[in-house]
Amino acid sequence: MLDRIITRGRLVELVDELARTRRIIGPVRRGERFFYEPVAKAREIDLEFNYCVYSPKKVLFPAREELFMFERNNGSFRTKPLLDERPTALIGVHPCDINAIRLLDQVFSHSHRDDHYLARRRQLFIIGVDCPAECTAGVFCEDMKSNEANEGFDLMCYPLSANGASEDMRYGIKFGTDAGREFLLYAQAGDRPTVEDERAFERYRAQKRAAFQRRIPFDVDGLPALLDRSYDSLLWEATARRCYSCGSCNLSCPTCFCFNTFDKLDLTLSSGQRVREWDGCQLREFATVAGGHNFRPQAASRLRHRIYRKGKWILEREGIPGCVGCARCDRACTAKINSVEIYNQLAEEG
Amino acid sequence: MTAIAPAPLEHARTLYEPQPAEVVAVEKLTDLENLYRFRLSSGEPLGHGPGQFVQMSLLGIGECPISICSSPTRGDYFELCVRRVGEVTGHIHGLKKGDTIGIRGPLGHGFDVHDMHGRDVLIVAGGLGLAPVRSLIQYILDERSRFGAFHLLYGARSPAELLFRNDLTIWRESPDVNFHMTVDRPDEQWRGRSGVVTTLFGELPPIDPLETMVVIVGPPIMFKFVVLEVLARRVPQKNVFCSLERRMKCGVGKCGHCQANNVYVCLEGPVFRYGELKALREAIE
Ligand SMILES: Cc1cc2nc3c(=O)[nH]c(=O)nc-3n(C[C@H](O)[C@H](O)[C@H](O)COP(=O)(O)OP(=O)(O)OC[C@H]3O[C@@H](n4cnc5c(N)ncnc54)[C@H](O)[C@@H]3O)c2cc1C
Ligand code: SF4
Ligand code: SF4
Ligand code: FES
Repeated sequence: MLDRIITRGRLVELVDELARTRRIIGPVRRGERFFYEPVAKAREIDLEFNYCVYSPKKVLFPAREELFMFERNNGSFRTKPLLDERPTALIGVHPCDINAIRLLDQVFSHSHRDDHYLARRRQLFIIGVDCPAECTAGVFCEDMKSNEANEGFDLMCYPLSANGASEDMRYGIKFGTDAGREFLLYAQAGDRPTVEDERAFERYRAQKRAAFQRRIPFDVDGLPALLDRSYDSLLWEATARRCYSCGSCNLSCPTCFCFNTFDKLDLTLSSGQRVREWDGCQLREFATVAGGHNFRPQAASRLRHRIYRKGKWILEREGIPGCVGCARCDRACTAKINSVEIYNQLAEEG
Repeated sequence: MTAIAPAPLEHARTLYEPQPAEVVAVEKLTDLENLYRFRLSSGEPLGHGPGQFVQMSLLGIGECPISICSSPTRGDYFELCVRRVGEVTGHIHGLKKGDTIGIRGPLGHGFDVHDMHGRDVLIVAGGLGLAPVRSLIQYILDERSRFGAFHLLYGARSPAELLFRNDLTIWRESPDVNFHMTVDRPDEQWRGRSGVVTTLFGELPPIDPLETMVVIVGPPIMFKFVVLEVLARRVPQKNVFCSLERRMKCGVGKCGHCQANNVYVCLEGPVFRYGELKALREAIE
């Protein structure tokens, strides 16, 4: 069931209103590719984007951020946390990335609350855009059951009429939160869906189901068990022969959340900041401890670690899959290491 | 980045901010290791249990995980034994009485001492592994009536590398613990035993396998040989404990560095039952 119907023209107006109180970030075209960038006007956002090269993860969990600042005085010190509480709206997020954000939400809130992530998350308004077809070749979101999102957004827009960028094209809207509902209702925007709209939505969903290909010829619920059987497979080593241990797969992934921390000292030498920055399990030193012992010295053991995390461990720990099938890792890899191919080859081994 | 506002000074501490702790005593243990006694500047006790660790910060230098090596039964201080190996630990070695550092913790899952109450305990420590188990040793000695027989075996590479010499003397003379130690490579002055730590198993009286809790902490290579001795004495694997070391950044299950297969050592460890670790291929390989 849809909650509202809205035209593209009206949605753009609403986003411009939103921009008066929030920073607006959305897909911006750069040549052939799209990137999430802050914009001043809603028109700069291209909602017909296929996919963004990097995921919106960086909005909630920047590649590098200062956690707190410190001042040293009289041999002691004081700290002040740096919390980013800028109201922000993320416009144009596909279901896969919304599902990835759900995972991050959970990881950064359970057992020990990560105030830095959560401060941003509290201030983030998300308008999702559903995908009527595969955004690009090679994605396997259908297999990972993440080409639909039922929660984790404030509003979700379903493009019900096809004629692309026209002003009067119609979006079916679902509210994900009270904030999303209020956003539309206070602006008195959008119409109640008619029976005809609901039918159009049903047709949209049927077409979508037909449009997405499956690339993993087994049910993904069986992936943890498949990996369980594959720990000693030679495939890890065979595949890792090509791996440069460059970490591009980690950096492009919407669900990778590992990080490193280090300190920066100001020129006065009496104050500075503790910084965290993305780290990746494919990098050689990731598991090295003092004394130089490395718990995953071979590229094969690191590759296996990444795939196990994505396909098994995160799911087991969080109840949410660690991979949303966006295939960014596969596209980012110079060595053409492909996770779908790995899964399928493991399945062939039995 | 400058657009980000600092929180007001009076705030609940966020996850990554350390709290100040003052050095109340420093003792040189070996060429590489110093023992530091700290008290939190807040005056509060740290509130730790044996086997837990802290993240130790020198603001401007960095942070590293260090096991707490004193027992909570010893008062409102806590002790850390630090081996100088790199950036942070190198600067820690410059600390003097009265200096202040940052502490996050206590972190991790320590020894389930209540599980050990009423049982016999055998602790086998190798090298720097004596530091994390010292908190448990002190705990057992302070709560001696709660435990049955208590055996402690300790091995170091050479006499110069023996840690906590004052403690060693006390333990050797104490009727409360059946203590034996050895060094791999003796020197001319050495009058004690020599050989790897497993040779000390010859000093043990027969142990009651079902009533003995075994704790093994040391380098991975030692671990394997000690486990063999213990299993040969028919101790069930669920009664064998160890403490793992991994690279750690956050200490709270976020940064991913400490992961061994599907466990986060900082959260579910560093103390584990051997029985739980068997299925984890990366744990002790
Ligand atoms: C649970 C736990 C308990 C511990 N308890 C104790 C204890 O009681 N006493 C004790 O002395 N130590 C203990 N350690 C070990 C201690 O944490 C390390 O010795 C310490 O982190 C070293 O920090 P450092 O900054 O001095 O060394 P670093 O300057 O970090 O360098 C030391 C080594 O660490 C590795 N390394 C560190 N950072 C990097 C990097 N960015 N890139 C590549 N390699 C890197 C390298 O192998 C390097 O040789 C414990 C560790 C854990 C996990
Ligand atoms: S991007 Fe490819 S080459 Fe680089 S670490 Fe990942 S798998 Fe290896
Ligand atoms: S592992 Fe690859 S396909 Fe899966 S979410 Fe990460 S980048 Fe996308
Ligand atoms: S130290 Fe960061 S996850 Fe364990």
